[in-house]
Amino acid sequence: MSEILIKNASVCDPVQGINCETMDICIKDGKIVESVSSNAKVIDAEGRLTMAGGFDGHTHSAGKINVGRFINPNDARKNPVPGLSGQVARTEKTRAQVGYNTPNTYAIGYRYAKLGYTTICEAAIPLLAARHTHEEFKEIPILDKMGLSLFGSNWQVMEYIRDKEPEKLAAYVAWGLRASRGYGIKIVNPGGGEAWGWGKNVSGLYDPVPNFDVTPAEILMSLAEVNERLKLPHSVHVHCNNLGKPGNYATTIETMKLFEKIKLSRDRQALHVTHVQFNAYAGTSWRNFETGAPMVADYVNGADHLTFDLGQVIFGPAVTMTADGPVEYANARMLHEKWSNQDVELEDASGVVPLFYSPKSFVNAVQWAIGLELALLVKDPWKVMFTTDSPNGGSFVNYPEAFTYLMSAKRREEVISGFSNMALDRMVLPGIDRELDFYELAIMTRSTQSKMYSRPEKGNLKAGSDADIAIYDIIPGQIDPSTEYVKVKKAFSGAAYTLKDGEIVVKDGEIEATPKGRIYWVNAKVPSPIDSAMQKDIDIKFRKYYTVSKANYMVEDVYLQKPVEIATEGVF
Amino acid sequence: MQVVKLFLKEANKIPIEADNINPDNFAGKTEEEIKAILVWYGNGQYPFGDFFNVEVEGRDSVENTKLVFEGDVSRVKRIGQNMSAGEIEINGNVDMHCGFGMKGGKIIINGNADSWLGCEMTDGEIILNGNASYYVGSGYRGEACGMRGGKITINGNARDYLGEHMCGGEILVKGNVGLLPAISNNGGKIVIEGNATMPANEMKSGTVIIKGEVSDLLPSYKEEGTVEVEGVIYRKFVGDVNVGGKGVLLIKRT
Repeated sequence: MSEILIKNASVCDPVQGINCETMDICIKDGKIVESVSSNAKVIDAEGRLTMAGGFDGHTHSAGKINVGRFINPNDARKNPVPGLSGQVARTEKTRAQVGYNTPNTYAIGYRYAKLGYTTICEAAIPLLAARHTHEEFKEIPILDKMGLSLFGSNWQVMEYIRDKEPEKLAAYVAWGLRASRGYGIKIVNPGGGEAWGWGKNVSGLYDPVPNFDVTPAEILMSLAEVNERLKLPHSVHVHCNNLGKPGNYATTIETMKLFEKIKLSRDRQALHVTHVQFNAYAGTSWRNFETGAPMVADYVNGADHLTFDLGQVIFGPAVTMTADGPVEYANARMLHEKWSNQDVELEDASGVVPLFYSPKSFVNAVQWAIGLELALLVKDPWKVMFTTDSPNGGSFVNYPEAFTYLMSAKRREEVISGFSNMALDRMVLPGIDRELDFYELAIMTRSTQSKMYSRPEKGNLKAGSDADIAIYDIIPGQIDPSTEYVKVKKAFSGAAYTLKDGEIVVKDGEIEATPKGRIYWVNAKVPSPIDSAMQKDIDIKFRKYYTVSKANYMVEDVYLQKPVEIATEGVF
Repeated sequence: MQVVKLFLKEANKIPIEADNINPDNFAGKTEEEIKAILVWYGNGQYPFGDFFNVEVEGRDSVENTKLVFEGDVSRVKRIGQNMSAGEIEINGNVDMHCGFGMKGGKIIINGNADSWLGCEMTDGEIILNGNASYYVGSGYRGEACGMRGGKITINGNARDYLGEHMCGGEILVKGNVGLLPAISNNGGKIVIEGNATMPANEMKSGTVIIKGEVSDLLPSYKEEGTVEVEGVIYRKFVGDVNVGGKGVLLIKRT
């Protein structure tokens, strides 16, 4: 029985509507409770900003990031954010750390914890490679983890859609989540991964996938229906078609519109659109490229069925990694960069390309602005999740830097002053004076995630929730983030305290303890006759095409550290 | 002038990582201060004086500081790393990464050098009076730019991948080189007075001059007549066309 009392905390907890009010927080056995005994250990927060532990709902931290590691061995010695990057020798409490965009697994855990983050969601798990993702999860300390499984270019999925077998499709998705121990359905450039196997791509929502005679729109709608049928805790998580192409904002809005008709089976969004910065481009070519953020934000402001995340760009080196194979080929050719490409058998494609975002490049400057425009033009912060799509837009260790952009117009002006006139003509950011406060920032970095992923015990400080807490060295009311952004950045770069399940894991920006985190996965129940019928179909796939057998395909329990099974009951 | 003479007490098997052993870190320091500098040895840090006898003559600025290694230091790595001025003389063989990231000054090696000599150097000079091993003047693994400036002169032979990813500066080899010199180059000048095999693969720009024999000349170079440099006639090749390169490869006409 361990008890902690955090006194004089300036609590910012949007889930409860608490906006920087001074109060005490009681913790018992890793959970937040109403009261503790007088034996409780006391932490005096001294009026400092206190939030629930951060929750990164879209990050590439296990799996594909390893390809990034081996094509960028030089990343190991990059140190643009001292204290949160570069080579750090082991200590009594921590293992050796290397890298910046593709740090080693231990560094990922330590650095997120230093930022006050306690939960992450890996953005893409190929079913076939899921075991590797879980092997890396096991070695990421402190954080609770979950991952989204890829279904958007899967042969079995497309066949069931073509053959109009929605029940078997649901059974397959449930099985796929079980096989990969995934948390939800990720759809990347629907159909594009399969088309890429033939050196092609799909050009929009109604461009049929070669050899399958289904369209990206049908893939999206069918998987969304499966998502509701299985009552999954998260909505479908969509990386839209035409990512990275000028003019793609229209495809993005069209995709969002498709989901208006989805009937929800749970209290959450019908759709999450990810890294929208890369999908909010106007113009018809790189010559007349400009921001499409106002159009996307306009639509989002009038809709209430979706959430999205930013994919904010950070200037400097980044590593793009995605299941969107054709996009990475285009990147590599355009930028004359290194390129890694993978074909995930019957399931998907993927690619990795390092790149450098420069404020001198007008395209990069506009990309930087688009992410911020989306965050600031969308009025309701509950629709917005803050991400850099780490490390696609930049490493997560730059979150504190990005927070200053959101909280200070003056800081934005400072960056914008280095842009070319051509870049300024193509963005609307200079005309936006909105500045987020700590309450809105807390929504975008933890509270909306709690709702979006149906994890009521995360992202808030209610009694009963996990005692994942971050205390930052800022006294709200005594600081003006719009001018004192240097202090804001410093405070968010190393939490005064991070608690994970009631244990102090970070103190004064340094790692104190490295407990193991949980793995959340979803087990959706499907009636056994439907499951058996589906199994017969995939048996044929394994016999004829896969390089592994079905028995060796499933991720076994032994790979899961502190697993938490989220059971759902499908409707058939 | 400050001269620091260094004598290895006992030949070591485990390499010493001497990445802070350079004039910048020695200038103005006494014998005791130099002996107290910590270096990595295996998985621990130890005082430099545990491994070397140190004799200091005079006291001066970085520019006027000279380090002299007397005898073989073939298991001492990273000597002269990131040095900006001054001089290092090594009277024996030296281990890997000598002169890595050098910004100025001079290193003279009277012996052989192991791999990665002068990698990513931006200025200064290295003179090697012996043979070099692999990756002279190249970049760290994964890096797009190796040597960016300065000059490396090798009075013996060099092995494979000479000047890989070089973006500037000059390398002169008096002897022969191994496979794929100037691979993935993007600038700079390499002169090889001896023989070379498969030179300038994927060169984007830069100049490579070979005065000896070339084996396995790559088919991805366009021949553009001859040029005369300092009275010698060379066949001129431009490429590597595989990467849209505009590099110039000159091979002495026989």
